[in-house]
Amino acid sequence: MNKESFSPSLDSQNLSASASGVANNKSYAVKYLCANCSSKVVLIRGDPVRCKECGHRVLYKERANYTVQFSAR
Amino acid sequence: MSTKRKSSVKEDARNAKAASSDAAFNELFEPNYRGKGWTDEISTAEDKWNLLPAFLKVKGLVKQHLDSFNYFVDVDLKKILAANQMVLSDVDPEFYLKYKDIRVGKPGIKFDDKNDDNAIFPHECRLRDMTYAAPIYVDIEYTKERKIVIQRNLEIGKMPIMLRSSKCHLQDQTEEKMAAMGECPLDPGGYFIVNGTEKVILVQEQLSKNRIIVEADEKKGVVQASVTSSTHERRSKTYVLTKNDKIYLKNNSIVEDIPIVLILKAAGLVTDLEIMQAVAGQNPVYQEIFAVNFEECSKLGVFTQRQALEYLGSKVKTSRRSNVKLTHYQEGLEAVATSIIAHISINNMDFTEKALYIAVMTRRVIMAMADPKMIDDRDYVGNKRLELAGQLLSLLFEDLFKKFNSDFKANIDKILKRPNRASMFDALLNLETHRGSITSGMNRAISTGNWSLKRFKMERAGVTHVLSRLSYISALGMMTRISSQFEKSRKVSGPRALQPSQFGMLCTSDTPEGEACGLVKNLALMTHITTDDEEAPVRNLCYLLGAENISVIGGAELHAEGSFGVYLNGTLIGITKFPTKFVSSFRQFRRTGKVSEFISIYINRHHAAVHIATDGGRICRPLIIVENEHPRVQVEHLKKLRDGEMTFDDFLKQGLVEYLDVNEENDSFIALYENNINAETTHLEIEPFTVLGAVAGLIPYPHHNQSPRNTYQCAMGKQAIGAIAYNQLNRIDTLLYLMVYPQQPMVKTRTIELIDYDKLPAGQNATVAVMSYSGYDIEDALVLNKSSIDRGFGRCQVLKKNTTVLKRYAGSDAVDRLDGVKMERRKCAWDPNSFEEVVTEQHEVLGPDGLGEVGKPVKNSQVYVNRCIPVNNSDSLLNQSTSSSTEYREAPVTYRGPEPSIIDKVMVSVTDKELYLIKVLLRQTRRPELGDKFSSRHGQKGVCGIIVNQEDMPFSDSGVCPDIIMNPHGFPSRMTVGKMIELISGKAGVLDGSLQYGTCFGGSKLEDMSKILVDHGYSYSGKDMLYSGTSGECLQAYIFFGPIYYQKLKHMVMDKMHARPRGPRAVLTRQPTEGRSRDGGLRLGEMERDCVIAYGASQLLLERLMYSSDAFEADVCQKCGLLGYQGWCNSCQTTAHVVKMTLPYAAKLLFQELVSMNIAPRLKLKEVF
Repeated sequence: MNKESFSPSLDSQNLSASASGVANNKSYAVKYLCANCSSKVVLIRGDPVRCKECGHRVLYKERANYTVQFSAR
Repeated sequence: MSTKRKSSVKEDARNAKAASSDAAFNELFEPNYRGKGWTDEISTAEDKWNLLPAFLKVKGLVKQHLDSFNYFVDVDLKKILAANQMVLSDVDPEFYLKYKDIRVGKPGIKFDDKNDDNAIFPHECRLRDMTYAAPIYVDIEYTKERKIVIQRNLEIGKMPIMLRSSKCHLQDQTEEKMAAMGECPLDPGGYFIVNGTEKVILVQEQLSKNRIIVEADEKKGVVQASVTSSTHERRSKTYVLTKNDKIYLKNNSIVEDIPIVLILKAAGLVTDLEIMQAVAGQNPVYQEIFAVNFEECSKLGVFTQRQALEYLGSKVKTSRRSNVKLTHYQEGLEAVATSIIAHISINNMDFTEKALYIAVMTRRVIMAMADPKMIDDRDYVGNKRLELAGQLLSLLFEDLFKKFNSDFKANIDKILKRPNRASMFDALLNLETHRGSITSGMNRAISTGNWSLKRFKMERAGVTHVLSRLSYISALGMMTRISSQFEKSRKVSGPRALQPSQFGMLCTSDTPEGEACGLVKNLALMTHITTDDEEAPVRNLCYLLGAENISVIGGAELHAEGSFGVYLNGTLIGITKFPTKFVSSFRQFRRTGKVSEFISIYINRHHAAVHIATDGGRICRPLIIVENEHPRVQVEHLKKLRDGEMTFDDFLKQGLVEYLDVNEENDSFIALYENNINAETTHLEIEPFTVLGAVAGLIPYPHHNQSPRNTYQCAMGKQAIGAIAYNQLNRIDTLLYLMVYPQQPMVKTRTIELIDYDKLPAGQNATVAVMSYSGYDIEDALVLNKSSIDRGFGRCQVLKKNTTVLKRYAGSDAVDRLDGVKMERRKCAWDPNSFEEVVTEQHEVLGPDGLGEVGKPVKNSQVYVNRCIPVNNSDSLLNQSTSSSTEYREAPVTYRGPEPSIIDKVMVSVTDKELYLIKVLLRQTRRPELGDKFSSRHGQKGVCGIIVNQEDMPFSDSGVCPDIIMNPHGFPSRMTVGKMIELISGKAGVLDGSLQYGTCFGGSKLEDMSKILVDHGYSYSGKDMLYSGTSGECLQAYIFFGPIYYQKLKHMVMDKMHARPRGPRAVLTRQPTEGRSRDGGLRLGEMERDCVIAYGASQLLLERLMYSSDAFEADVCQKCGLLGYQGWCNSCQTTAHVVKMTLPYAAKLLFQELVSMNIAPRLKLKEVF
């Protein structure tokens, strides 16, 4: 066990690993970027991880289309 | 698109050579070449240091690792194959398989593959947790149905490839090409990538093999000469030692110590005269000491060789597996031939060489008996050998290859034994089934670091280490590290002490503090570690140079006055009457390149011996040759070097520079500077600062510091946060610290430039005022300027990785999967009557694919990989019927941390086993805070004690305000004068607009720096008049004020802070857990308890140790004194006497455990309060 890593106490509600709420298990297509040729790869759950253009097998998730605020510290 | 890129990459590879020469050529058009203009004068005294970059260009910092690996792959592999060439069958005498050749390909490329599209590059291996390995091909010849078949390029396994070695794609690549491969051009290489982790095989230090070492135990009065023989087949250790002033031979295959004369007789020196001549020669003192030993032998009634061998055979340990019973005579012959001094091979039962070797050992013992000064020093670097990756891998490979062959043989025997085989027998098919054993064997050994070879009874753990990527320097420091085989617990100072012979070979400053102090060493900047060289040509050369062959001379000539023994790798091969001439002509051959430049030759006049060493693992370093009081390297050579017409190898070939190992260094007279040269000088130092290693080379003006301070800095430089590599942002490492605005130091050293620390720095030039400020600067604490922090001083990023593999389960087709986001119905914020569907807080950062969205901040206990695993995957037998609808259980990866992190990268890929691999990189940006650790480059560490607004900080009349205020109490006891000089040089550099040098034994002169300061209107001393930031008045003293390079160390408060009011408890004892990672309590320990007892605060004690810890209400029966439950005593079967009491749960547990062992602890209760 790494002593340096932090793990705060979990609240009693969170003790079970699962989150509350209703699961949404529809498959969505998600865009990824190929690490080799930077082309966009659209994958649906269960698809093999492979770039359609060059066959490279490392993909990165595209940056989310959200505005993210940072505190200027 | 990629093919296009890849093909262009290929093209680049073809042009790589041309391009690199272009780069060197273009450098000539620069107005300055290494700080020298075209018209600048060149002097040998000042510019000979240019040989150092030239050396590093050819050799590189980790060249020893690469050379060793290349030697293994290109040469040693073939030798191993030749030694294990044939596989025969016990069943079918006609069957044979013969290995003809072996070679290693390049990672990912098949031998017949013309296009290298499938090439696997190291960076992909790191990302996909694969092994950077290349196929091993063999050519074989075997019988198939009575015909001989030749099969070429048969793959027998995969070999992990050392980065930048000759089999690596990165070898000799241009910077552009490296960038295209996602690799950092400054990365030193020399490590392996196994299952995605970078593994280094550290250099190991050992006592030399196959050499005689004479030691004495003064207390017992024992002198012994020992030799560890090591060949491919076996390892044995042989001793010649004294016992009651008589000499015996000891070997681990012989039961008892054998009188030395008997052994010599067994080895063919039969007559006493022969023996006396071989051992003692004409020296009457030696003869006197040795004479007693003849008696010992004649007492045993041994006079002839046969008698001696029979006696010896009766003492041999027999551990023979086969049923063949040997006679004593045969046993004796076998022992002399194979186990005693095993490294000398025997041809045609001619033992003379071995007899003489034993005689030489005996003579060395006698010499040490006559003169106790004649013992050897175990800690002398010349008696050490360094074992590198290549040697360790070759041991491993040979073991695996032997196992591969024996498995294969067992397999074909099994098939050939069958009386009627259905199909035609083809051995090839069987060979291919064992392919995995070599691959997995090598992978396992490197990834675990356990080298267990049954053949040598070698069981070594911790051979490999994970390459530390904390900073560029820590990675580099790891590649030059040497670990010792000595036990750390032993309390002997010898192996830990700094040996004078380490000069120039091993860094004098870089060693860890604490238990490994002095045992872990580092290579100096300009060192080379030799690889094995062929012995036979050197032997022939010796005879050509006039050495008389040992087989034609007797003992009388051997030890005659004025004759010197010629020893090749510790074995006597001849004698010469003219050692000086012999040695100088041999050296002539070496300097002209007729023999390898790494062969060393030197005279040992104490032993009347000329020693030649061709073996691997010796440390050596280049020096300029001096002849007739003139260094051979002249101005014209340096000019050619500057113009790129000559390289370091040309210097070697032309005999201007040569390599000396430690032993030959002792036979030379080396001038430190050109003006020290006199008539006896043989060599000239290239540059004195090369006594330090790469890590100690970062320190400016180290020669002005107290030596332990330099050692401290060597440890701290490896913890500094900075730039790691050019590809640092593409890497996904477990833990990565990066500095946001790293700067190269104002005061550089030559070493900094040579190891490219200025390109990947780890620190910032802080303006430091050496003064007291507030009370928050005591005990080395620093005062930091808040505005500087706002501007980015000491700002760093912490990147942490999480790896998730979606597993497949054996026996069922259930696979781990990712689930989508969970929604919940919540009251609408603006309309309390309606509900809306929103993402649950835990799943806020997840995207539709169940992975965190890149760029979103994750807070504590939020999910960022929503993994689900199938339920009941273990009892798949029962579940088979319902396997169509497997149930899943959530097993998400949640974030834990006091501060949120930002998802920096989400990588999806597959491992080589086709498993879904997800790596999520989390980023935190941290600014310095109270308690963060900083250090200058002089072993002066301190924590941030207070952060002060800039308006309250002192300032100079030009408006300069310090970034850091350092307390002057740090100086007097530490005596780090180098830090003061760094400040002055740095200040001069700032005023001048230049970078100053603080190179060891050189660098910018303090006088010149003061001159610059004065020229710019500053005080020569570096002190300035400052105004108080709070009152505006002038400070009452001049303040030492200027830039010092400060490193931010990895120890940060955020990773360490910990407090807990209440929290988790351990299940067994119900006491609070231990450690920050488990949110543990802070222990009131034994010693603290003692204090509280001594003070008499018993109620406090009760509270701390029981009520706040593990108080437990127990039912105790007052009658029997045992524990009951629910007011019932089970042993008395009554409730009558049961009372409640509070006691620590751990005590209750102890009582119960004692009861379980049939011990009855009985409690006698009394009213106390």
